Amino acid sequence: MKGKNEQIYYESGLPVPETPEPGHQPKPWGKTHVVGKPLPRIDAYQRVSGAAVYPSDVTFPDMLYGAILRCPHPHARVESVDTSDAERMPGVFAVITGKTPEANVKWPYQNGVKTKLFDPICRFEGEAVAAVAADTPYRAWDAVRAIRVSYRVLPFVSDEKKALEAGAPAIHGKDNRVGKPEVYQRGDLKKGFSEADVVLEESYRTECELHTPMELHGCVAKWDGDLLTIWESSQGVYAVQSTIAEVLGMPLAKVRVIGHYMGGGFGSKLEAGKYTAIASLLASRTGRPVKLFLTREETYLTVGNRPPGYMKLKAGVKKDGTLTAFEFESVVTGGAYPARGTGLVDWVVRELYTCPNVRTQRIDTFTNTGVARPFRAPGHPQGAWALEQMMDALAEKIGMDPVELRLKNIPSFSQAQPGNPPYTTTGLKQCLQKGAEAFGWKTKPKVKSSSGETGHIRTGVGMAAGVWFVGGGSPPSTIIVKLFSDGSVNLNMGASDLGTGTKTVMAMVVCEELGVKLDKIQIENADTGTTQFATPSGGSKTVPTESPAVRAAAVDVKQQLLKMAAADLKTDASKLAIVDGDVIVSGNPAKKIKITKISAFKNRGVLIGVGYRGPNPPNRAINPFAAQFCEVKVNTKTGEVEVVRFVAAHDSGRVMNLLTYENQVFGGITMGIGFALTEARVLDAGQTGKMCNRNWHDYKLPTALDVPADMTAVPIDMPDDEANSTGAKGLGEPVTIPTAAAIANAIYNATGVRFTATPITPISICRLAAEQGRKG
Amino acid sequence: MLPQFSYVRASSLREAVKHLSNQGARLHAGGTDLLGCLREGIFQADTVVSISRLDKLRGINETLDGGLRIGSLTTVSEVAKSDVVSDRFPGLSQAASQVASPQLRNQGTVGGNICQKPRCWYYRGELHCLRKGGDMCYALAGENQYHCIFGSDNKCCIVYPSDMAPVLVALDAEARISGPGGDRVVPMGKFYVLPGDNVEKETVLEPGEIVTEVLLPRASKNLRSSYRKVRARRTWDFALAGVALAILFEGDKVKGARVVLSGAAPIPWRAKEVEEIITGQRLDAKTIAKASGASVKNAEPLEHNGYKIPLFIGLLEEQLAAIAKT
Repeated sequence: MKGKNEQIYYESGLPVPETPEPGHQPKPWGKTHVVGKPLPRIDAYQRVSGAAVYPSDVTFPDMLYGAILRCPHPHARVESVDTSDAERMPGVFAVITGKTPEANVKWPYQNGVKTKLFDPICRFEGEAVAAVAADTPYRAWDAVRAIRVSYRVLPFVSDEKKALEAGAPAIHGKDNRVGKPEVYQRGDLKKGFSEADVVLEESYRTECELHTPMELHGCVAKWDGDLLTIWESSQGVYAVQSTIAEVLGMPLAKVRVIGHYMGGGFGSKLEAGKYTAIASLLASRTGRPVKLFLTREETYLTVGNRPPGYMKLKAGVKKDGTLTAFEFESVVTGGAYPARGTGLVDWVVRELYTCPNVRTQRIDTFTNTGVARPFRAPGHPQGAWALEQMMDALAEKIGMDPVELRLKNIPSFSQAQPGNPPYTTTGLKQCLQKGAEAFGWKTKPKVKSSSGETGHIRTGVGMAAGVWFVGGGSPPSTIIVKLFSDGSVNLNMGASDLGTGTKTVMAMVVCEELGVKLDKIQIENADTGTTQFATPSGGSKTVPTESPAVRAAAVDVKQQLLKMAAADLKTDASKLAIVDGDVIVSGNPAKKIKITKISAFKNRGVLIGVGYRGPNPPNRAINPFAAQFCEVKVNTKTGEVEVVRFVAAHDSGRVMNLLTYENQVFGGITMGIGFALTEARVLDAGQTGKMCNRNWHDYKLPTALDVPADMTAVPIDMPDDEANSTGAKGLGEPVTIPTAAAIANAIYNATGVRFTATPITPISICRLAAEQGRKG
Repeated sequence: MLPQFSYVRASSLREAVKHLSNQGARLHAGGTDLLGCLREGIFQADTVVSISRLDKLRGINETLDGGLRIGSLTTVSEVAKSDVVSDRFPGLSQAASQVASPQLRNQGTVGGNICQKPRCWYYRGELHCLRKGGDMCYALAGENQYHCIFGSDNKCCIVYPSDMAPVLVALDAEARISGPGGDRVVPMGKFYVLPGDNVEKETVLEPGEIVTEVLLPRASKNLRSSYRKVRARRTWDFALAGVALAILFEGDKVKGARVVLSGAAPIPWRAKEVEEIITGQRLDAKTIAKASGASVKNAEPLEHNGYKIPLFIGLLEEQLAAIAKT
């Protein structure tokens, strides 16, 4: 206790940044005192103790449970639906189908494509056919099973290349292309390849990854008169609000979506699902709240994926490491409808390294498979799988170290963004150098070491780099910081915290700016009824979007406080500063007033500061960069791969919280390990078109033992003051971009064999051994 | 969602057998497999008969002849942690510790492990396959990367998923079974049923029968055993390929051998070709190479599981070399 000036709500001795004059932007922070520290989550207790109420925890006394009948075929026409038995079952309150008048609404996909909510043509396995509300989940599922549907099974196609072949079943009446091929070109490809000393060409394949957030997809829908309230596990409550309002023909004001806590999204919860509309319709029909959460099997079939794709990359390089040309082609499929998350496969090829001559082409196709949704860094890990293995191969061919080759080709401006804007900051060089140093890249063994009973376990190292196509954040965002009469703060923010620590980081910004203690800050977020507009949390843009707006709102509070205090202290506001919860006169610290004693503030009761996210600087590219290094052990007799260690260096601008930073890095590596080594959707493509591995046993997520205990995050802490007022860039997606390619390169280093298809498993390694055996 | 069923907790083995003799009754021990099967609708259960009260079926004891008796309700974890098991039958200890995940090992029982249902994704899915009484095996011409290379009889190409079963077969263990007609003892080597004999059964158990204990014969001090499986990820996964070895050494020569493969066939698969080649030999590099190659001589790989050929060869090379050094 520090005597009479002790402030229980304010940190003492914490220098609060200077308050800009009204109408002026705050100066860059420079050195921070709270932001950047490794601080635990402000809601950690709630999350760990189970006190946090996630949408799946929401319950009401008269609540019913919804369940959806789904098409078991990849392509079928619904000829009739007989619900008579289901409707008579005890505890069943509603059964809805395409024939139910209010359920005859349109569901929007991308590119303006709409179908009926319960469309008679089911173009993928798991499409919704009917739905039930009952008093228990068991009775709801019993009723679903009692619905009799007559399907006319139609021919299907599962594979994107086969979808383009003549005679393939036409999923939308024409050929199976989703629009025209996307083509990007710069320079002169022919010239580029003619200048190269080495030209390599390789085909790559990445398999479809399924979304697996811990919390299942779903919601609770409840009506009060004509107001619909939805508790949804969502990355963006405003996005859910607008889709549901559109589908049900309601004013936005009458749809309130709440998602304070949510258990992970990774891109699959950026949008509303049919389940949201169905729960709302069931709740309306029964006059009771309806909870509708999908089973894991349903989410695997219907809530999106990282699209599978075929890629071909041809690359030219001079002996001195100068890249001369890239030619890249890809064929992907976002499933049965135009989907988000199918693009950007070529982005790293366009952008990551200086290369004057580039041509890329992407063909998106319809297949009778689940519709894609954005999946952590859409397109990028796939493109990096090709590009970064190719860079490794080029380096070997010209006898250059892979890190050196990359260092030689670092761009200072964006080659792919319109107008070729310079980057605000580019930490690619630092990522490569500091990462290599932390890993011990230069001292890596020249000869592969072997161990095991017969020397059949080989060790190898590999690395890869990455860039994320956005990551600077952007308007709009509106933040309100409410200062209560005792000096405590309420932070009001529309954005969701996906579990990444958004709330914690924002509270730290308020603490940094006002000096108010972290535990005296209450955060209200992700509620369209009470919090301000925010775009969904995705694209690694939440921190760079929201944190400057939070800072602006805190600055607004300070400006008002100083103006009010100026009256009490009979001086000019420009002469005042905030120190330890007091407003003091600069140069005369004895002349001061406690924030809570300021007369005008006391009269008003609560002070409201509003902050807006301003525009990004014009003609500048704001991008995060990455480099990752790993060591693997490969059992050459059994094909088992063990990832031994990982070092990840990431430039995401200012490191806002070292703990959440490390969490993101380790999480991204974990997902990248899944992409590289274990995960792949398997379809029964030759027979039924159904998904074979729709559960956690058959769809193999990496387990704790598949992830190395030895993981190191090397923060490249480069505040990007030109980008925004907190200096932050995005981190959540870049962290998973280079991982898989780094592993593939390490496996090549260990075995001398290049695996161009994901996942690299004992199956694929032994399969290659079998093929080589047959070839003799 | 689980279907509706009634639940009985038997207070004696006799009572359990009586309940299980009724049509539609299903045994519940650890429940790790049963509940999944019920949820996935692989079979129905009118009555679930719990044997959790039958404490006599728990525990690991020495038998009069110096062997071991493991009660069928003993958990997989208890076997994995048992000193007497790891002393005498390290292979069984290794197998138990490679089963599933810690949670499943704590809950799953020895009886359940050796009586579990197959993991074929067609069988576990919505399709009415031959093993479920339907008219075709979807895996034979489908996605069969996890399926068998021996013993499908061109009917059903599951692999038997148990890790403990191949070791028990290799160790010449027996299963004691109680049923409506009294007790019987069946060697583990004759406990499993090939699709050619009955495609809807995995074991010889008849309705109403319960495995009550597993009996291991006395281990000679020259007996070495091991089990290792290769899987698609490092835990919580069934075998792509596994090998159980039980080798009786005389000096550095093999006096007798049992080599049993998992992930290879609808039953634990004895690799008799390997046993014959190594018997009477030193486990030197040449013998190991010859024996390992012979393990897959009669394999009939399917479209997507040809990788199991080099995998079994590689695994046997590794494991034979390892057991020679222990």
